[in-house]
Amino acid sequence: MSFDVNKIRQDFPILNRKIDGKPLIYLDNAATSQKPQAVIDAIVAYYQTHNANIHRGIHTLSEEATQLYENTRKKTADFLGARKPEETIFTSGATAALNLVAFGWAVNYLEEGDIILTALSEHHSNLIPWQNVAERTGAKLAFFALTENGELTEEELKTKITEHVKLIVIAHISNVLGTIFPVKRICELAHAVGAKVVVDGAQAAPHMRVNVQSLGCDFYAFSAHKMLGPTGVGVLWGKMELLEPMEPTVFGGGMIDTVSPNCATWAEIPYRFEAGTPNIAGVVGLGAAIDYVQTIGMQNIEHHEQELTAHTLRQLTTIEGLRILGPKKAQARAGLVAFTVRGIHPHDISAVLNSAGIAVRSGHHCTMPLHKELEIPASTRASWYLYNTKEELDKLVEAINEAKKILR
Amino acid sequence: MDIYREELLELYKNPHNKGAIKDPTVSVDEKNPYCGDEIELQLKIEKDVITEAKFDGPACMISVISSQMLTEHIVGKSLDEVRSITKKDLLAMVNINLSTSRVQCATLVLKALTKALEEYEQDSKDR
Ligand SMILES: Cc1ncc(COP(=O)(O)O)c(C=O)c1O
Repeated sequence: MSFDVNKIRQDFPILNRKIDGKPLIYLDNAATSQKPQAVIDAIVAYYQTHNANIHRGIHTLSEEATQLYENTRKKTADFLGARKPEETIFTSGATAALNLVAFGWAVNYLEEGDIILTALSEHHSNLIPWQNVAERTGAKLAFFALTENGELTEEELKTKITEHVKLIVIAHISNVLGTIFPVKRICELAHAVGAKVVVDGAQAAPHMRVNVQSLGCDFYAFSAHKMLGPTGVGVLWGKMELLEPMEPTVFGGGMIDTVSPNCATWAEIPYRFEAGTPNIAGVVGLGAAIDYVQTIGMQNIEHHEQELTAHTLRQLTTIEGLRILGPKKAQARAGLVAFTVRGIHPHDISAVLNSAGIAVRSGHHCTMPLHKELEIPASTRASWYLYNTKEELDKLVEAINEAKKILR
Repeated sequence: MDIYREELLELYKNPHNKGAIKDPTVSVDEKNPYCGDEIELQLKIEKDVITEAKFDGPACMISVISSQMLTEHIVGKSLDEVRSITKKDLLAMVNINLSTSRVQCATLVLKALTKALEEYEQDSKDR
């Protein structure tokens, strides 16, 4: 199928919005993506025609709701290249998924003195749970050193991945540096020393082909809302043999097998990890989002974003005083660029861009240790997706130049 | 847009109270955890009156303007008068139409001021 960005844009009603009379240029996709009509329709249709609680309802609606929910599990498993649908657990988001691996599995798996290896660039969602796991188990956190361009070298991998390392937790793509980390290689080296690998795929699953089996990772987490789906839904995929010893972290209805007054046994995997009524409509929305991106083709999306990245990097490097965080080469990075402009606070850049209808984000993007390491209080991040155009990114560059004129 | 009015830009580009005091009575740092901004506020206090006030730090326009206005406002005032300044008072002084997230930028300096006064009192008690 050929990729037609103008046709794609028509599927996203919000792109017709005006901000202060100017057409919206939405470049905050790393925070959350917009939703196509197909996803909105699927959620509305669910509530209008199928709404019921799932599992063990004998009535027709409950059957339908259960089917929609479980079909999405199959779709998600296929989307990730999982061996079985049961390896896919629905959570409320990437954060909840990472917390589930941390407190359901890692706290039992790790022992005092073990090393948890990660990077300073991790999102707080993939750092703070591990700080807490380290505190509870006596394991220690260690950090990969990144190059000046925010990349991980083969040499660094070989130096840091030693036999004391029991767990590596790393983003597939950094939400600030944009770096695509060499997850496949990390998994090879990790497994050679008997370590497991948890991958935070929040910025990757929406933007590139992901196959957990060819990556070779042990756990993979992502959020629906960054992938055209609704908020409040996420996915934890794990290898079945690791999900088996994992303990539930939330207890209640739907996750049990039998209950007596003083104890209970757990339901099968994945249900034991999905206590309470799940976000059924949200999961249905995720299903529609997966259908949507697969119809367009993940490879096409990846290719389109890569073109935009190369184009934007070329333009941004011409702006005097602008510092790009992360890799300088487009091929090494995903569709986002965080930057600073000498003498101008990131908030002020965002405010000037907003008055041009451009939505970007300024702050530390939930990566305080990285910003500290880079010796900047904050940065501005522009992030694109399948519906963004070269013209929009040209406007971004124009508006940054305008901000310099006004504020310097 | 409103916040890029000439007079505000002027205030932002030449904030008189930006910098450091030679012998400050109190000096505090305050952080905005949402955006990582940091502000340093220094006060000179003589006989329970603020005689000098300065701020510094990598701050955005809103934070600079608000810090400039507040430091200007408190000089010559007694500690009691200064203690009674509320968020609402400061936002009225700044008088810019702010989004919720940027209200945090504007009020960072007030948080710093509260902290400075607390430290001053603590120091006075310890002495
Ligand atoms: C790299 C990364 N990890 C984790 C998260 C957390 O995702 P969520 O807030 O959807 O749980 C984000 C989103 O901001 C992210 O960018």
